[in-house]
Amino acid sequence: MKTPTIRNCLCGTLSVLLIIFAGTATYSGQGGVVQIYKNATAPFDDAKLVDGVLPLPDKAVPVKSRYQGGRFWTETRKDKIERFRCSQCHNDKDVQIPQAAEIAHGDIALVHGGQDKPLSCFTCHKKDERDFLETEAGVKIDMDHSYQLCGQCHFRQKKDWVGGAHGKRLSNWAGKRIVKNCASCHDPHVPRFEKRWPKTYSPPFIK
Amino acid sequence: MDPRENSDNRKQKENNQQQTKPCGRRDFLKGAAKLAALGGTAMLAGCGTEALGSSEELKLRFKEYFKKNYRLMTPDEKDETILRLEQLAKMKRGVDVQMSSREPIEGVLFGYAFNVTRCEGYMECVAACVKENNLDRKSNTQYIRIFEMEHGEMTPDAGDGKYFHEVPVADHFYMGVQCFHCQNAPCVKACPTKATWMEPDGIVVVDYDWCIGCRYCIAACPYYGRRFNWNEPLVPKNEMTKKQHYLGNRMRSRGQMEKCTFCVQRSREGRNPACVEACPTGARVFGNLLDPKSEIRFVLKNKKVFRLKEDLGTDPKFWYFVD
Repeated sequence: MKTPTIRNCLCGTLSVLLIIFAGTATYSGQGGVVQIYKNATAPFDDAKLVDGVLPLPDKAVPVKSRYQGGRFWTETRKDKIERFRCSQCHNDKDVQIPQAAEIAHGDIALVHGGQDKPLSCFTCHKKDERDFLETEAGVKIDMDHSYQLCGQCHFRQKKDWVGGAHGKRLSNWAGKRIVKNCASCHDPHVPRFEKRWPKTYSPPFIK
Repeated sequence: MDPRENSDNRKQKENNQQQTKPCGRRDFLKGAAKLAALGGTAMLAGCGTEALGSSEELKLRFKEYFKKNYRLMTPDEKDETILRLEQLAKMKRGVDVQMSSREPIEGVLFGYAFNVTRCEGYMECVAACVKENNLDRKSNTQYIRIFEMEHGEMTPDAGDGKYFHEVPVADHFYMGVQCFHCQNAPCVKACPTKATWMEPDGIVVVDYDWCIGCRYCIAACPYYGRRFNWNEPLVPKNEMTKKQHYLGNRMRSRGQMEKCTFCVQRSREGRNPACVEACPTGARVFGNLLDPKSEIRFVLKNKKVFRLKEDLGTDPKFWYFVD
């Protein structure tokens, strides 16, 4: 009667051990690259390690939000607006040219905000100070920092933009983080990307 | 001398008369074997002298032929082969190439994320990739393929990979597929000559000169990530990207495998790959997986991500995410 019990015990422990080992084996197999990046918590000093990092360009302003890595910069906007400063025309003096508004802004077609709740010029532009924008709460906003204005409705996109899941960096993955402004990619008056032909085409598969 | 060598000699004489015979890899090998056997003079006869070019070019090509695998080269040997390749590019194509063998950056593991919600299918990335990586214009080789997929479809097999119409189409989304640089890459295991491997920064590269063109890696890759040169690649001289990397966009030859290298010539300098830079919608995110403050880490932490055919255990470093 003694031998069978020992054998049973042995079988039991062996099977338990097998199950444990099998479990750990599968677990380590699932680790892979996910485990590798989750283990990497030390900060990476790219300025020291990557020698090709570009210096900060002049045409970038520090963003007033912080991302996980600290400060970041965005492209300037004011120098890319054709007729900035707006107060050259929008001031106290009378405008002499007939149909001046038509000539200056006739190309603007506002397709923003949906049919049931369309936006108007003064949803974003500050009425009494045309060089600036204005939030719904009446806060004056610089044209270079228009993300603050866009972010009042598109808060989800703004959160992604600050973190790095929306928008894009200017050319470098390393070095100082300089990203495109909202208006660098989206026309603020017609923010949706237009339908157009693709740049190229793909041939059928050949193996 | 045995009779076989005599017949070889006769063939060489015939070859000498046909000066325009093209010099392929096999002919070159034949020539090299004869050089050993006949002591030098047979080399030029192996293939027509005209096709071989000047004796200087022949010397360079001879040295190139007997170089080591890239991973076994010392830094000096790497510099020498790069110099030779630059000189050969100048002689053969008349292009001034700046080639590098920049080593991987310490503490970097490259990762990539693709936003399927944002991609609109404009294919700017494909065009930029072709230009940057000197891809063959003749057979229209492309590393990236964009699939147009109906809402709800989960795999690119069901999508349209060769659409050409105005995009985006309503109720469709676009999914870009390229080499995923698997951490556990099946193509690397399949290669019989160790001509492909994963670099320490996670990029799966090919040593073109060690590729024998068996295409086992194509069969092993579950993602259709590799491309084969069925013909001698054709790139117009004025369109060639001159800043090249040994493992990246230098010119390939017929019978060699090539693939996306995350633009190794750019990414190791801290720049984004050409596809990321060209994307007009910002659907492509590239960065260092080992850097906790990088954008790719933000995506992996905060967005819903998935990888293609994850159950195969290839462990790709390419994630898809949705907004």
